[in-house]
Amino acid sequence: MWSSLANFADGSPVNLWIQDTYWLWPVMEITHFLGLSLLFGGLLVVDLRMAGHIKGVTPSSTYKLLPLVLVGFTLNLITGVLFFFGDPARYSINIGFQLKMVLITIAGLNALFYHWRVSPSIVTWDETNEPPKLAKFVAYVSLTCWFGVLLSGRLIPYVGTG
Amino acid sequence: MLATLENTSLAIWVGESLWAYPSLLACHIVGLAIVVGLLTVQDLKLLGFFQGLDYQVFSNLTPIVIAAFCLNALSGFLLFSSQASYLATSVPFLAKLTCIAVGLICAISMRASGQRSIAGAPEPCTSDRLTLFFACISLFAWTGAIIAGRLIAYIF
Repeated sequence: MWSSLANFADGSPVNLWIQDTYWLWPVMEITHFLGLSLLFGGLLVVDLRMAGHIKGVTPSSTYKLLPLVLVGFTLNLITGVLFFFGDPARYSINIGFQLKMVLITIAGLNALFYHWRVSPSIVTWDETNEPPKLAKFVAYVSLTCWFGVLLSGRLIPYVGTG
Repeated sequence: MLATLENTSLAIWVGESLWAYPSLLACHIVGLAIVVGLLTVQDLKLLGFFQGLDYQVFSNLTPIVIAAFCLNALSGFLLFSSQASYLATSVPFLAKLTCIAVGLICAISMRASGQRSIAGAPEPCTSDRLTLFFACISLFAWTGAIIAGRLIAYIF
């Protein structure tokens, strides 16, 4: 799958634009780092509350942070796609990149599962309730996946090809 | 002094070991995500975003921010040690340190003033002017630290 995507990206106008614009890559990296900060800032509060580590606030009040998480994710989705288009041959065969994509997929499925199964009941907990086991599980899966995404992404330049 | 640091066995290990440098970078980005992430959310809250989210969240999370900052001070120092004399004259590196110092001053100042002006107040509540000022500067400082930090790899 990645090699056909790489073939599609290689030589495309976007590919040439990124390779020919010397200042673009650092700007994309900076945006990706700022985006991950927004994503993690919101996500840590939401997930740590859902796991029961923040007392005295309702879980639903932390949802005010979800738009911020989405802004961070969108910034990083855009810059991430641009990274791939800028250097498709390198990313498509990189084990760190592939692992990162798998982890993002699991995190997405976990969020969907949360939306279906956990979120309908969450509005009924108050500030002191110990969260249900299922909510804790979803929160830890989310934290594990996203820290995995962070680490596998950072190690892309240092790990081998898949 | 910088040359002495570079020649310590620890600094040489950071520079030469196959996995030391990547592992330290991995630690450094985990700390970055936690420190900048949570402080950004806190700054935005003090600036009036996220009405309905209790400010108490941030007092609960302070130990995590402090632990993550320590992780980054340590991993940052070890990364620095392997190329100390080069980094000591790098403009982006010095700019990054300045930004971090400003961000720290803001965080410490806001702990007192942010708490006073916003904690426990009924919604919608607003920060006092001094807190708004620190929250604004803090956002710029951490954004600046990330920009400068990335540019270390590009600008000499």
